[in-house]
Amino acid sequence: MKRRKAGLLSMLMSRQRKSLVLLAVISLALGAAITGQAALLAKAVQRIFVEGASLSSVTTVVLGLLSVMASRSLLVYGNGMIGLNMAAAAKTEMRSRLLRGLTRSSMPVSLGGQTGGKVSVALDAVDEAEHYFSQYLPRMMEASVIPLLVLGVVFYQHMNSGLIMLVTAPFIPLFMILVGLSTRKKSEEKFDQLAAFSGTFLDSLQGLVTLKLFGRSRQQEKEIERSSLAYRDATMGILRIAFINTFALESIVMLSIGIVALELALQLVVFKTLSFYTAFLILLLVPEFYNLLKNTGTAFHGGRTSMGAIRTVEELLENTAGAGTFSITPSDQDSSERRSEDQDTVDKSRPKGEYESKTSDLGPLPPSMELENLRFRYEQSGFELHTGTAGIKIKPGQHVAIVGASGSGKTTLLHLLSGLLKPDSGTITVNGRELGELDEAAWFRHVGYITQHPYIFAGTFADNIVIGAGHYVSKEDIIKAAEAAGLGGLTEELEQSYDTVVGEGGRGLSGGEKQRLALARAFLKRPAVLLFDEPTVGLDLHTERILQRSITELSRGVTMITVAHRLYTIRQADIIFFMEKGVLVDTGTHEELLDRLPQYAEMVDVQRKGGWS
Amino acid sequence: MKELAIFTKAMIRERRDILLSILGGFAAGLAGVGLFAASGYLIAQTVFAPPLYTLIMLTSLVKILGLVRAASRYGERLFSHRATFSLLGRLRTAFFSKLVPLTPGILNRTRSGELLARIVGDVESLQFYFLRVAYPPVMVVMVFLATMLFTAAFSIWAALLLLAGMLMAAFGVPALVMIGQRRVHGAVKRKRAAFSTDVTEMLFGFRDLKLYGRLNQREEELQQVSADLAASQRDDALRLLRGQALHTFLTFIISWGMLVLGAYLIVNGSLSGVFLAMLVMVSNTVFEEAAPMATLPAYKQDSEYAAKRLTDTVLSAEKQQPELPANRRSIDDEAVSVSFDEVCFQYDDEWRPALQDISLHLPAGSKTAIVGPSGSGKTSLFELLLKLRKPNRGEIRLNDIPLQELEEEHVWSKCNTVLQHGHFFRGTIRDNLLTEQTCFEDEELSFVLDQVQLKDKKLNDHVLEKGENLSDGEKQRLALARAVLHGGRLWLLDEPTSSLDYITERKVLRYVLDQAAGDTLLLISHRLAGLEHMDRIIVIEQGRIVESGTYEELVALKGYFYELKEIELQMFEASNK
Repeated sequence: MKRRKAGLLSMLMSRQRKSLVLLAVISLALGAAITGQAALLAKAVQRIFVEGASLSSVTTVVLGLLSVMASRSLLVYGNGMIGLNMAAAAKTEMRSRLLRGLTRSSMPVSLGGQTGGKVSVALDAVDEAEHYFSQYLPRMMEASVIPLLVLGVVFYQHMNSGLIMLVTAPFIPLFMILVGLSTRKKSEEKFDQLAAFSGTFLDSLQGLVTLKLFGRSRQQEKEIERSSLAYRDATMGILRIAFINTFALESIVMLSIGIVALELALQLVVFKTLSFYTAFLILLLVPEFYNLLKNTGTAFHGGRTSMGAIRTVEELLENTAGAGTFSITPSDQDSSERRSEDQDTVDKSRPKGEYESKTSDLGPLPPSMELENLRFRYEQSGFELHTGTAGIKIKPGQHVAIVGASGSGKTTLLHLLSGLLKPDSGTITVNGRELGELDEAAWFRHVGYITQHPYIFAGTFADNIVIGAGHYVSKEDIIKAAEAAGLGGLTEELEQSYDTVVGEGGRGLSGGEKQRLALARAFLKRPAVLLFDEPTVGLDLHTERILQRSITELSRGVTMITVAHRLYTIRQADIIFFMEKGVLVDTGTHEELLDRLPQYAEMVDVQRKGGWS
Repeated sequence: MKELAIFTKAMIRERRDILLSILGGFAAGLAGVGLFAASGYLIAQTVFAPPLYTLIMLTSLVKILGLVRAASRYGERLFSHRATFSLLGRLRTAFFSKLVPLTPGILNRTRSGELLARIVGDVESLQFYFLRVAYPPVMVVMVFLATMLFTAAFSIWAALLLLAGMLMAAFGVPALVMIGQRRVHGAVKRKRAAFSTDVTEMLFGFRDLKLYGRLNQREEELQQVSADLAASQRDDALRLLRGQALHTFLTFIISWGMLVLGAYLIVNGSLSGVFLAMLVMVSNTVFEEAAPMATLPAYKQDSEYAAKRLTDTVLSAEKQQPELPANRRSIDDEAVSVSFDEVCFQYDDEWRPALQDISLHLPAGSKTAIVGPSGSGKTSLFELLLKLRKPNRGEIRLNDIPLQELEEEHVWSKCNTVLQHGHFFRGTIRDNLLTEQTCFEDEELSFVLDQVQLKDKKLNDHVLEKGENLSDGEKQRLALARAVLHGGRLWLLDEPTSSLDYITERKVLRYVLDQAAGDTLLLISHRLAGLEHMDRIIVIEQGRIVESGTYEELVALKGYFYELKEIELQMFEASNK
């Protein structure tokens, strides 16, 4: 944890040490090429024009110039290529860490609701970070090596010009940075406004049906025009500042070059202390010098944006790191620490193989469970769950129904009991052993979870069922499970039966079919602990019937915990957990709660009313 | 170039800004060339020890040219960006008005959202067509021609050398850059999209993947996709880099060529030595002006691809557009009867029909509820009635007139519709209630708002894009108010109160039913309770009508509806508190 403070960026940089050295070497060579090119060009002109030499006598100079030019082009390309390679490596590394973090994270991170935001970090923020490696680093390296070299040459040739350059040079990056900061602030201020303007077009297209139904499309066209113009004017406001500043900057450069040129001319003509060669060489080098400095300014902006993006990535990494229920034992931590010496610390959890030391023996199945004084808080929403100080026992094979109004924390409690969420404090024990001390894979091997919205992966129908097994299953087993879950009819409809691709990009399934597919998975797995999130939304009758029948069969002889929405489920439960605003208010049988808990009685009664006419 | 027709039209309308930016760019380019020419000449002149005033004049000229260059560059940037953003606006409005008549047809698939996002993206990528594709060649040619004229005054050969260089820069370098580009075109976009969907899927399926121990395997697959993406992005960037490096090399070669040529001409006696430095510097500068040419082809391909996709979308939608029959008929201002005759409908991208053999007759003035599990085809029924989609088979009639013989606008004017995701647009509550045909006094509008239990909303209250600042319940009530004010005689309400608590729901629906007295009403209901007073209940499952009748009939039947009702009764928390 401590080492993470060192930062993602420095970690990424330490991976690039070799490339950085290479960049420095190439930059040095590039500097040599730039000065060499200027020197040879000046030399050639001096020989031909001033000394009136014949063409053949300058052959070496001219050919040398050509080769220097060719190598300069190559060196530019080389630096760019190193930058791009570094960017590609850094991006892959960042994405790899994000993926590792996300897949190893606990539930609140993955179900934090902002899936889109996380994907956007992994995609857009990482892409934005590219600039730092592909542009900022190479330019900065060039800017810290080449101008010094150029300046050195100028100083050697003609002290005065060198002094002028030395004095004027710092103004350029300084000015550019100041300019950048002010425009940046301005653009940040206007950012929301800009986003709103540019969103109008998509919104209008999405709402086109309604707009047409109510005859509003003509007006909306004007609205699009209005918002586009407003967008243009807002953007131009920002750009105008940027352009004015560029204008000022170019003037500074121009002025500086002018001063150098004037000084050179005076030296040449009035004082006659300077050779044509030296003057021309300096005149060729001066623009190169200022251009390089100008590039640093540009690179600096890009670099800043990229660093912001890298911080975004870093934040997500920190949020995802190390929140899983199944922590690793101290000895494991040591070994992984050693191994990840230069890999940073973001992922503490390692592949399954390293859990050896944890107990994979759960004890007798179905297990008993016990929860005591559980507390859990979602960082983002601030929602807090508490189960009360009294220990609550679930005996082997008992059926629990969690009830409560929507938003009372039922699903959160189920996630805690499943081990998908880690409590902030308090304990859950399974057969007397703490849940966190169990081997994750061994525990999940015996847990079945039927959610309201089962996830269908892009793959064949059979693959989607087999995922439940965790071991080899024969085709017959799959068919048996599917038929038990009432999917026989559907497989006949599918053109390639069990080999039909479903999910994203494949055949779409209805809500009821997905629910039945989840049942088929459970039939293959036959878990000892069954977690069930009872559907609230309208399923088709066929699925409803199958669901009741299947749950009865699957729950026989297993410990079952249900987030219950149906009265019969609640009535049949051995214990009912009643939740209210995140607090486990009371537990007991249906009759007990009816007796002593007015909120419960009211809730049971509410559904008998309803209707609007 | 047919695809870019819309774009060209938009450019013509922005000609002022475009001309100004060309003017600015031209001036900046010439000033740049002049600046370096002057300084080259200046330095050469010093060799002959000229009088001081010549020097002062020359250095002043250099400075003035420098300032002119910076100033005209400023103008060029300002006007070209202004033009770019104006063009974007024009493109948006142009495409919007093109899409308006095509709308129902173009959306005949379930994932219409993706299509719309793509259209927006394509229009956006077209905006840079001017800045990066259309503009640079004009500028480069103009500056080059001027420079060549200038150079020709000293030596025709030097001018020809520049011409050769320009041809290389315009065609040779881009051609080299484009090698291999066609094969991988769009690879980055595709891989980005793939990565995005895969990560999203992983996050959505996280719980199941974790429970089934598949996360590691999934992660490995994703790592592979990510590495692929980074490699593709690098390759694309390398291609651009190659272009830039080649262009730099070309610049050097031409300057070198100028030096050698100059040297030869000087030795020959056909060129004065004092111009040598000037010519070399001129050729160096003029090629710097041409730098955007190297990256132009890639942008060009992008824009043309976008333009082609846009035209294809629009064209294919135009083809699907149903032709209206010569004899257009209309419904009088009376309650409407609705009948479906063996109607079948299937979405373009679905494998099962959404509706199958639907036959029903709803007499004028009847009130019908439609119930069924989610995804059973209830909403599709409304979409067909509204002519938003076309049935694959069968016929729908309003007042015995086939739907094909009725104009869309006419049908819509007769329907008071509440869709599940109704759209609200930026403006006031009043703007959102009024339509082009209707006009109401403020008191009337406020009264309706009261009746739909939106007493706390004022007519001048602002509504943000998509009604972002309204809750789901408020949106539903506002949508109902809009429907009430629309004044048609056929009511199509798709789960209009699913986000309301049950007391408000009762009040609102009673008001709506009062308003609809004597009209035909179809209500897709998310619940079965409270349907006792409807004339008829239709139960749909998997696109078929499984039961229909009055509430009493269906309950007595003890069939599908009865069982669904039993399940709903068992629901513990189905109705909100």
